[in-house]
Amino acid sequence: MTNVLTRHIEQRDQARLAVALRGGAYEGLRRALKLSPAELIAEVTASGLRGRGGAGFPTGRKWSFIHPQPGQPVYLLCNADESEPGTFKDHYLLKHDPHLVLEGIAIAAHAIGAAKAYLYMRGEYASIARDVQAALQEASAAGILGDHCLGTDFSLQIEIQLGAGAYICGEETGLIQSLEGKRAYPRVRPPFPAVHGFVDQPTVVNNVETLANLSYILVEGAQAFAALGTDRSTGTKLICISGAVARPGVYEVEMGYPLLEALRREAAGVRLGRRLKAIIPGGTSVPVLTAEEAAPVMIDYESMQAAGTMLGSGGMIVFDETADMPKALLRIAEFYAHESCGECTPCREGTGWMAWVLRRLVAGEGRPGDLELLLRVGGNIEGRTICGLGDASVQPVRSFLQKFRPEFEALLPPARDAGPEWQRHGHGPRTARHGAPGDEALRSEPVDGPPDAAL
Amino acid sequence: MLSQQALHEIASVQSQEASSQHALLTALRCMQAERLHVGPQEVEFLAGLLDLSPATVEGVARFYDQITKEPVGRHVLTLCRGISCYLCGADAVAEETEQILDVPAGGTTSDGRLTLRLAECIGDCSHAPAALLDDEFVGPFDPQSLHAMKDL
Ligand SMILES: Cc1cc2nc3c(=O)[nH]c(=O)nc-3n(C[C@H](O)[C@H](O)[C@H](O)COP(=O)(O)O)c2cc1C
Ligand code: SF4
Ligand code: FES
Repeated sequence: MTNVLTRHIEQRDQARLAVALRGGAYEGLRRALKLSPAELIAEVTASGLRGRGGAGFPTGRKWSFIHPQPGQPVYLLCNADESEPGTFKDHYLLKHDPHLVLEGIAIAAHAIGAAKAYLYMRGEYASIARDVQAALQEASAAGILGDHCLGTDFSLQIEIQLGAGAYICGEETGLIQSLEGKRAYPRVRPPFPAVHGFVDQPTVVNNVETLANLSYILVEGAQAFAALGTDRSTGTKLICISGAVARPGVYEVEMGYPLLEALRREAAGVRLGRRLKAIIPGGTSVPVLTAEEAAPVMIDYESMQAAGTMLGSGGMIVFDETADMPKALLRIAEFYAHESCGECTPCREGTGWMAWVLRRLVAGEGRPGDLELLLRVGGNIEGRTICGLGDASVQPVRSFLQKFRPEFEALLPPARDAGPEWQRHGHGPRTARHGAPGDEALRSEPVDGPPDAAL
Repeated sequence: MLSQQALHEIASVQSQEASSQHALLTALRCMQAERLHVGPQEVEFLAGLLDLSPATVEGVARFYDQITKEPVGRHVLTLCRGISCYLCGADAVAEETEQILDVPAGGTTSDGRLTLRLAECIGDCSHAPAALLDDEFVGPFDPQSLHAMKDL
C-alpha cells in the first residue's frame, strides 16, 4: 500500500533535518514555490484532498476563499489541538515526522499568501512542541523556512503556540480566540475566518494531517494522490484505533479500506479474543456503530455517511462484548459537559443535564422517563448553538440510546415506583468550566445542584 | 515574580502581534510553570505586565484546565479518564494511584511534592491508561511505578 503520510515515520531520527532531507523532505515545498499561488491551489483542488480535522471540507476550495485587500496580512493556522477523545494521529505525525508537517504548513502558506503561520498545539503536547521547535529551528537555520525559503522570494515565519487544556480550542474560531489570548469562545459565523479570522485578518485553519498530505501531492502530483482512495474520498487516512483492541495505534489506510479489516489487520482484532460489540469510527462526536452495522462500512467519507455516521477525526474507539454501554456513554457525556465552553445556554446547560441524568441512571437512581428526558434535552441542544460541540454532544447520546436501548432500560425502575411529577425531579447538574467544582466535577458521583425548574 | 527567561519569552510572543493580549496564554503558562498557580497576585502582575484589566486575565485564566487557582505540587501527575482509557481500566488505575499517593484526585501530597489530576482524553489513547508526569507521556500507566518515583 502507498504510504502518503507514514513513509518515513519509522525512520530513526526522522525529526532531524539531515535525516528527513535524505528521505526527500521539503522537495514538495521546492516544487510548490515554483508554482504561483493560483496554480498551487488548482493542483491541491485537483488532488481532491479534503480536510482531515473532522468536517472533510475540500482543502483547495477553502484556500480559494482568501481574497485579501492589498497589503492586508493573511494567516495560516495549523490546528494541532487534537482533543477529540480517541484521536492521537496529529500527536504521532508531529512527534515522528515534524518536518512533514512544517513543510505542509509552508506549502499552504504559499498558496494563500500568508507570511505568518501559527502551529497551535494542545498544552498536553508540550514535550512534542519542544521537538517541533527544534526541527523548526533547524529548517530555518538551513534556509528552508523563515526568510527567503529555499532561496526564493517567499518568506514565512512559523510560531508555535501551546494551549492550556480546553477541548474547544480545536474548534477553528475557538482556536483563533485562544491564540488572541482570549477565552476560547467560538465565534458566530458569518463572518467566516477566511474574511475575519485571527486578529480580524483573512485566515485559514487547517488540520495537521491535512497539511501533511501536501508534500506528497506536490512531489507525486495531484493525479497520483487522486488515484488513491475512492472517487470522492481521495488519498489515505490516518486512523487511530484504541479501546478494546489487541494492538492500539495509528495506522495509515487508503480511503475505502474496509473498517473491520483495518481493525483485524492493523490493530490485531479485539483484545483477548473477545467479540466486537461496537465501534465509534470518528471520535466521540460521531454516532456509534454496532458490530453488525460496522461490517459493510469502508473508511471513507461517503461510506461512513451511508452508515449514518462520520469519518470525523479517524479516532476509532472499539468496544468489546463486555463493555457497559450506559457507563461508557456517561463517560462520554461527562466529557462534553466538562468541555462545553459555556457560551451558549443550550449546550452549557444541556450537556450538564445529559451527564447528570446518565449519572443517576448508572448509579441506579434512574427515574421513569429518563431516556425520553435525555433525548428531549439533546433535541433542545441540536441546531441551537454557536459551534459544533453542542450537536456533537448529542450524537453519542442519541446513537447509544437507539442501538443499545435494552441496556439503558434495564437501569430504569419499574414504572409504578414513579412518584408524582415534582418528586421525580432532583437537582440539576454543574460542570467545571463554568460552574464551581474543579476536579470533583470529573468524578462520577452524583453532584447536587439547583432544581431543574427550567426543564 | 517571573524569571528573566519567562519575561523574555512573553515579550517575544507579545512582539509577534500588535495586541499584547496575544501573549496572555503564554504568560499564563509561564506563570503556572514558575509559581505553580495563577492566584490573585499573579493575576495582578500579569495584568500590569500586559496592560490588561485583572478581570480579563482572571477570566482567561479560569477558562483553562492547566492554569490553576490554587498552587499545585512541584510535579503534576495527570491521569486520563477519557473513553479509550476508561475501556482499558483507567478507573481502577486512578483508584490505586489515589491509594498509593494517599491523596484524592485533585489533591496534592502533604509534602507538596505531587498533585494528582484527572483529565479528559490527553491524546495518547494507544498507551491507555494514558498519563502525563508533568509534560512527559508515561502511559500505559502502572501505579506501582510510583514507588520508584518517590525521589522525584
Ligand atoms: C468542538 C470542535 C472541536 C474540534 N477540534 C478539532 C481539533 O482538535 N483539531 C482539528 O484539526 N479540528 C478540530 N475541529 C474542526 C475545526 O473546527 C476545523 O474544521 C478544522 O481544523 C479545519 O481543518 P481541515 O479543513 O484541515 O480539516 C473541531 C471542531 C469542533 C466543532
Ligand atoms: S456549542 Fe457549546 S462549546 Fe460551542 S460555543 Fe456553544 S457553549 Fe461553547
Ligand atoms: S482516552 Fe485517554 S488518552 Fe485518549
